[in-house]
Amino acid sequence: MKARTVLITILVTLLLLPGVLFAQAATEETDSNTMRLAWWGNPTRDERTYKAVEMFEAKNPGVSIETETTGWSGYWDKMNTQAAAGSLPDLMQHDYAYMLQWVERNQLADLTPYVDKGIIDLSKINDSFLTGGMVDGKLYGISLGTNAVCLTYDLAVLKKAGISEINSATWTWADFERIALQVYRKTGVQTIPFFTTDPKVGFDNMIRQTGASTYGETGIGFTDPAALREFYAIQLRLLDAGALIKPETAFVTVSPEEGAIAKGETWVEFIWSNQFVSTQAAAQRPLEIALLPNIKNAKAKGTFLKPSMFFSIPASAENPELAAKFLNFFVNNIEVNDMLMGERGVPIPDDVRAYMSTKVDPINKQIFDYISLASKNAGPIDAPDPAGSGEFLKMVRDVTQEILMKRVSLDAGVAKIMSRGNDILK
Amino acid sequence: MKQLTSRRRSFLDDLSGYAFISPWLLGFIAFSIIPILFSLYYSFTEYDILGDPTFNGLENFRRMLGDELFWQSLKVTFFYAFVSVPLRLLFAFFVAMLFNRGTRAIRMYQAIYYVPSLVGGSIAIAVMWRRLFMADGALNAALAKIGIVTDISWIGNPSTAIWTLILLAAWQFGSSMLIFLAGLRQIPRELYEAASIDGANPFKKFTHITVPQITPVIFFNLVMQLINGFTVFTQAFVVSGGSGDPLNSTLVYALYLYQRAFKYYDMGYGSALAWVLVLIIGIMTGVVFKTSSTWVFYEAKEGK
Repeated sequence: MKARTVLITILVTLLLLPGVLFAQAATEETDSNTMRLAWWGNPTRDERTYKAVEMFEAKNPGVSIETETTGWSGYWDKMNTQAAAGSLPDLMQHDYAYMLQWVERNQLADLTPYVDKGIIDLSKINDSFLTGGMVDGKLYGISLGTNAVCLTYDLAVLKKAGISEINSATWTWADFERIALQVYRKTGVQTIPFFTTDPKVGFDNMIRQTGASTYGETGIGFTDPAALREFYAIQLRLLDAGALIKPETAFVTVSPEEGAIAKGETWVEFIWSNQFVSTQAAAQRPLEIALLPNIKNAKAKGTFLKPSMFFSIPASAENPELAAKFLNFFVNNIEVNDMLMGERGVPIPDDVRAYMSTKVDPINKQIFDYISLASKNAGPIDAPDPAGSGEFLKMVRDVTQEILMKRVSLDAGVAKIMSRGNDILK
Repeated sequence: MKQLTSRRRSFLDDLSGYAFISPWLLGFIAFSIIPILFSLYYSFTEYDILGDPTFNGLENFRRMLGDELFWQSLKVTFFYAFVSVPLRLLFAFFVAMLFNRGTRAIRMYQAIYYVPSLVGGSIAIAVMWRRLFMADGALNAALAKIGIVTDISWIGNPSTAIWTLILLAAWQFGSSMLIFLAGLRQIPRELYEAASIDGANPFKKFTHITVPQITPVIFFNLVMQLINGFTVFTQAFVVSGGSGDPLNSTLVYALYLYQRAFKYYDMGYGSALAWVLVLIIGIMTGVVFKTSSTWVFYEAKEGK
């Protein structure tokens, strides 16, 4: 009997032991030479980022960086959970859409002290590339590349339809509509509905051209529905003419290889400029890039340069100095950018960009050229997305499908977006 | 005095039992009990994950009444559960009947038919499902072969999309099938032999022996699959890419809950939704249990 009690005590102790050991190991893990880095990505990006980490470790003996990577949607689940648990990495990839919410909840560290200490060098970077990462004069993220919204088209199809070129800086939505109809009549190739992943990006460009913006201080930032209405009216006219791909097909989420542009079912697709590489790879034929068309009587520029792929240091980082050092290397080092090849977007330091534009392959050259065209035709970026934007975007995508599937009338749909938008964003 | 020692002994017996399962207990407490209690607390708060939760009483539950998507997701989930569960059970029962003959290769077939249950929530299946039911997918190609030419995108059309998920659920009948099979094997041979002597035909044997004898298994499977049906998430998530597309016609309850909690930083409301789901499943299961006495056959009870 006694022997058994002893045995039980020993057993229980043994079983609890691993937990105690783990807890100790976890607390001892932090030393000044290790850090954690997290990003969302794809196989190409992951491979190049691992290489960048290796290059940094080779230059800084004794330093070791743990990496975490997932796809876009899983990434935010993971980071939100880590934020709640207070176990965020030392350096994380961040996005314009979420930055403001994170800053408002004091989750991100101001990078200015590291700039002042000389750990992060911003001397080669134009201020216009930095403002996107600033909230109330404090710097919360540095972008690894610049992006702009664009339209990619198949010139071979246009030529077959008797259209020789698009003057991307001056063309209008009326031109676009005429071209789409002509292409359909002459070749049978249709037009894909605009921005099926995120229709807001499309009408945002038109609303910006009227001098307003999609998001306001509270609620939506525009009162005149005309631009929003026109965005759908063009598509409905094309749909009625048979020139628009049916929404039932177009709105199914597919991989780039299954996409309508890759399969040659549309002459045009609406993307962000850094997606051009994967779109082009999937299409396996030459494509061109153009600015989005202008609206009639445009008052302002719709296009803007969007800092893509921010890197931020969480406020809870255990080793922020090392993270800042790596960030500086990641952004400014020419060798590492030579290897990254602008996969996250066009680099922001002047010297890196100048060097890269001589080096890149023809497809990336198209993107570089487009960014310089866009920078001449761009207006200032709007404030970061407010809380509730995720829900707003989902609602917009739903109503867009309702309008194009003709489950609601054009005017009712537009009114719905505006009233629901005001409710969600209040 | 003697009683006390025996009570003491049984306490020690219990203790050693708990000691042996303590790794599981620790996991259960840390990864189930604690999160469950936290979510109950969060359901009475406004909590955006990044900040601190603030108590707001019953506000989350009041909000549901006016939330269009909440009702939409309930509608989708009830439809899904009430169609897919009977379909899956029928299918599982049918296949189990076939397997009950006991041919040589039966184990291999069992393994093969169980595979869909294992892979059903995978990305590969999501891609395959899209390929099958796209406008230019395999289904339409097959239909064209037999003279029905259509370009319906089954997966993109709001009125057909949910059926692709129901089909996927019916296809994953493996675990119910195995349980049915085990149940069928339990039916005493003598009953069939006696029936044969009395001249009963196979259909009579099925309705008078097999079905009544298997009712406890049907009951078990029904309860388990109802719970599964109401909490369906993975399949809907992978097939629609997490959006509930098209037009929220595949927005099942658990998917909506997930969107609220993790996509819109609305953890308090998401937790409240979760508890309402618990309540709904509790009621549904309760109803099945209440009716069970009228149709489930228990040998022990009848024998008394």
